[in-house]
Formats: sequence, C-alpha cells, structure tokens
Amino acid sequence: MRILLAEDDMMLGDGLRAGLRQLGFQVDWVRDGLAAERELMTGDYTAAVLDLGLPMKDGLDVLQALRARKNTTPLLVLTARDAVPDRIRGLDLGADDYVVKPVDLHELGARLRSLVRRSHGQAHAALQSGGVLLDPAARQVSLNGETVALSTREFDLLHALMLSAGRVMSREQLEQQLYSWGYEVDSNAIEVHIHHLRRKLNADVIQTVRGVGYTMPRTHPP
Amino acid sequence: MRPLPRLKSLQARLLALLLSLMTVVWLGAAAYTWLDARHELDELLDGHLAQAAALLVVQQANAGHDDDDPVADAPTLHKYAPKVAFQVFHEGQLIMRSANAALAPMSSQTSGFSTVTLNHEPWRVFATRGGERDVQVFVAEQSETRDDILMAVLNGVLMPLLLTLPVLALLLWWAVRHGLSPLRHLSQVLGQRQPKALQPVVLNDLPSEIEPLVQALNALFERIDAMMALERRFTADAAHELRTPIAAIRAQAQVALGAGLDTAQRDHALQFTLAGCDRATRLVEQLLTLARLEAATSHSASTGASATDLSALTRRVAADLAPAALLRQQVLSLDAPSACPVNGDETLLSVLVRNLIDNALRYSPVGATVQINVSGEPEQTLLQVQDSGPGLTPAERARLGERFYRVLGTERSGSGLGWSIIQRIAGVSGAQVAVARSEALGGLNVTVRWPLIH
Repeated sequence: MRILLAEDDMMLGDGLRAGLRQLGFQVDWVRDGLAAERELMTGDYTAAVLDLGLPMKDGLDVLQALRARKNTTPLLVLTARDAVPDRIRGLDLGADDYVVKPVDLHELGARLRSLVRRSHGQAHAALQSGGVLLDPAARQVSLNGETVALSTREFDLLHALMLSAGRVMSREQLEQQLYSWGYEVDSNAIEVHIHHLRRKLNADVIQTVRGVGYTMPRTHPP
Repeated sequence: MRPLPRLKSLQARLLALLLSLMTVVWLGAAAYTWLDARHELDELLDGHLAQAAALLVVQQANAGHDDDDPVADAPTLHKYAPKVAFQVFHEGQLIMRSANAALAPMSSQTSGFSTVTLNHEPWRVFATRGGERDVQVFVAEQSETRDDILMAVLNGVLMPLLLTLPVLALLLWWAVRHGLSPLRHLSQVLGQRQPKALQPVVLNDLPSEIEPLVQALNALFERIDAMMALERRFTADAAHELRTPIAAIRAQAQVALGAGLDTAQRDHALQFTLAGCDRATRLVEQLLTLARLEAATSHSASTGASATDLSALTRRVAADLAPAALLRQQVLSLDAPSACPVNGDETLLSVLVRNLIDNALRYSPVGATVQINVSGEPEQTLLQVQDSGPGLTPAERARLGERFYRVLGTERSGSGLGWSIIQRIAGVSGAQVAVARSEALGGLNVTVRWPLIH
C-alpha cells in the first residue's frame, strides 16, 4: 500500500515514514500543503496521512480542495489540534479518520488498513478471492488454508489486486501502488512478480486481460 | 414574598426614610393644627364669656334692684352648666350667682380676662363692670372644657392619619419595590449566569441610574473574556506545540524498537529520539521562562529596574554559547566597549541576549558568521546581532514574536517562543527591538535600543 505522508516536522515525519515502512507500507513524504495536494491529485495513493498545520497550505484547505475536485483518496488527519470542534470540522470536510498526536505507530497502521479496506467496500479485515486469503494486518497469505510465504513485493502486489478484486488494474497502476519515490522500477518488474505469485499460488488465481492489465475475481469472505 | 438579600437593605432604607419623613411632616401639620385650633377656640370662647358678661350687666341694669332680695341662684339648665359659673355684685354685694359659684369674687381682677384656680381647678374668668360702676360681673368657665374640645378637634385630625399610616406604608413598600425592580431583575439575571458566561448583559428599558453599572459590568466581562481567551489560546498553543515533539519521540522510539537487526536504522531512530527529548526540554524551558516573565513584568515595574552592564553581560552569554557555535564551525564575534550600563534586571537581560544570539546561531547554517555589537551612543545604548544566515522576508519579519510562530521550511527545530521572550523582556526594560536585513552579512540584523540612563 502506498501512503502519502504530509508532515512538516522533520523528526516526526522521519519517524512516521520509517515506522510505516516497517509495517509494510510504501511511504512518500511531503512537507508542505501544496506538495501534498499536488501529489494526491496526480499520484495514485492508497491512502494519505495529513498533518493540519502545514506550511504553504493548511491541511484542512488541502482536504477541502481535494474533496471539491472529487478526489476520494482515504485521508487520515494526524494533528495536534485536539479540540472537539476541530475534529468535527476535519471529519465534516472529508477526512476519513482523525487522530491526535502522539499516536502509536501500530495503531496508525491499523487505522490506515481499515481506511483502505472500507474505501474498497470491504467490511472484513481479511481479503478473499478464490481460495486465497490475505490478512493485511498479519501480512499473511494462505491458499486453501495453507500458509504461503511471499516476498514483500509479492504480498503488496497481491494485496493491491485483491483490494480491487473484480476490477482490472493496469501495470502502471500497480507500479504506482507498489513503489514509493526513489525506486527505479524495472519495466517488467510487475510481470515478474505476477509470475512468481502464479507459481506460489494457483496459475488461474490472477487473470490477465491482454493489453489492459490484471484482475482477480471478487468473492465474499465466508 | 421571597427575600432578596442584595436588595433588601436598599429597599428597607428607602422605606424607612420615606416613612419617617412623612411622619415628621404629619406631626408638624398636627402641631400647627393644634396651635391654630387652640387660638381660634380661645378667641371664640372668650368672646362667649364676654358676651355672657355683657348680657348679665344689661339684665342687671334693666331689672332694678330689690335690696331685700336674697342672693338669687340661677338654675342649672344644661349638663355643661357646672363647668360655667357667674357672679353678679351690686355695690359690693353679691346679688346673683350660679349654683357652682363661690361667695367671694372669683378673680381679684375687676375687668378683663384672667385665669385663676378655684377649687384646685383652672378657670377662665372674665370680669367687667356695669355702666354705673356699681355692678361687678364675673363670668367663668373651666379651662378643662377648652382642653376637651381641643383634644376632640385634634383627634379628628390625627386619627384618620394614624389609621391610614399602615396602608400608606404598605403602598410605599410596594412603590419602592416596584421602583427597584430593574435592580432586582439585574441581580436575577446575574445570579442565573454560569460562571463562564462572559457575554455582555443585555437588559431592556434600563433606568439611567443602572445603565452605567451595567456598562461597567459589561466592560469588566469583556476584559475578563479577552484575558481568558488569551490564556486559552496560550494553553492550546502550548499543548499543540508540545504534542509534536512528543509524537516525534514516540514514533522514533517505536521505529528503534521495530528496527530488529537493522542497527543503522535503530541508531538513527535513537538519535532522533534523544534530539526530540532535547527539543521538548527546550520548549518546556521557554514556556516556563515566558510564564515567569508574566510575573516579572509586574514585579520589576513596581521595584524599579537597576542598571546592568550590557557589555559584560553580553560577553558572558557569548562565551556560554561559543562552544556550540564552534561545533558547527560558526564564527561568533563580539565588539563591545568596556562598560555600557542599561536599565533592566540582569537575569532578564541575559535571557534576552541569550535568545538573540541563540536564534542567530540556530537559524544560520554551518560555517555562518554571527557578529554582535554593543555600543553606547549619546542618546541610546545599542545591542546589535547580525548573521550571515538566510534572513527573513518582510512578511516573515512582521510575524516574528507571534507566540509559536515559526518560519516555515527551517531545518532547525525551534519553539517559536524565543521572539515572544525577547520582545517581552525588551518591553519590561524599556527597550525597543527592530528586525531588518543585515547589510554587512546578508542575513538578519536584530537591533535592541535602550534609552540612556540619566
């Protein structure tokens, strides 16, 4: 899952980026409101963590601008403004969650996973497609009840496909979901990972739509 | 009726004042009535006495005298008759008298009015002589009669007044109470207020006497509200500013915990954790300084500031800060005369100078130059701190000193409180702070001016 982190404080931003990466998120970090808005409008982020007291453009203004332009990226507001009116305002302007600093990194990760899950219309924490069961919190995958060991990239790729189960994801979309800034992505990296996934799981778990991308069938969890 | 303790005394005072004034006026009126009635009564009854005497004289003159007749006693015809008496003497002989009259002349006076005591009672006597000088007539009346009539008159006047007094008191009580109702209303409105409600009191139809009171009250509410808003904002700002370093410390500590075998990441996170602690410490120190300054402001204003040598003080502070500057390869230099006295408390001034130099070092990059000048001019003493750092735009300079305002995009962490502290102390010691671009070094030039000590 690729997350945009908008936080102007050096130490906090650094810590959140490192911590979320430890939890398996891909994190891009911007330090002002204008950059946050620009990245969220153009980039393909699974979710965003937004500080409110941002330079150049306040977090609430960013929030408002994004929602006004029909951007539906799940947004978690992480702020020191703890007053109830602030919380109400943040949520009413379109934030999906409102967390007051300081926050536990694991809780932040869980909230982000929950936001992403719900934004994809999934009520259950674990995702299922065919015989594949994926637990985002434990980062575990099983096929017909048997645990399958996947690399980080393979897991993220499968997670992205399963979140959008029933829809076709293009290679570019998948790349954007998988890689944060500063990574040189090989042109055939996605194909390689797909190949590995098909080998470790079932060959027909992931279907190719020629010239468009990849998809997994949508099934409801038991 | 519910007692209203706050109003009761005022109402009671008004009521007591009105009632007592009215009683005095009434008593005055009664006294006048008494005197006037007595005067009129005296004249009237004296007139009757005189007329009765005249009748007796005339009758005596017309009757002719039979010297052999014994003394004639007039019959008692009326119940008041015993209170009236007369004697008629002819040539020194008592020839006629009323039943209650004595044999001796009632008065030693032979003509005119006199008051005498007969049988231990006061009598009003009128004496006159006949035209031939041989007839002497005395007509008397008991004085008590007059007093009885007078009392009856007075009762007639006073009794209705005494009876209406309670009614009047009741009416007055109601009137006073009604007149004071705006006050009672105000007290009710204030009494029902929540302790935190500070919006102005709005009452319709305020009497002009109460309006200044309500206005003063509203002005007070406004001041308290402004003060509380300031406090609230400070608390909120302080909480806000403390949360970010704490959040950073927590995040970095968790990263260190989760780093596992990645020792480079763990060390990095631990270093940031420590740096975060230092930052929080500095923030707390500055908050405390600012809080102490609030108290110091009133204190130094009352005791009067003493003179402090700015040169020596700046030299001490610069020496303290120099090691940290050297670590970042920054050049710190001081140019100060031997002695330069300024007004102000030494501790406060060293906090000011420390914040000024610390700011310059903190926001200037590695290898930068910070130049400090202390100079005494004929009219003022100057402290100038210039740096070769990035400087500030005019808009940023204008916002300096807003509590917790931090210039955005600075790599170095600051609390945004340094400027508040500097300006606060400058204000206490009568100095003025000016921020400009440094022509010599390209960065910021901060100048503090103290008026010369006389």
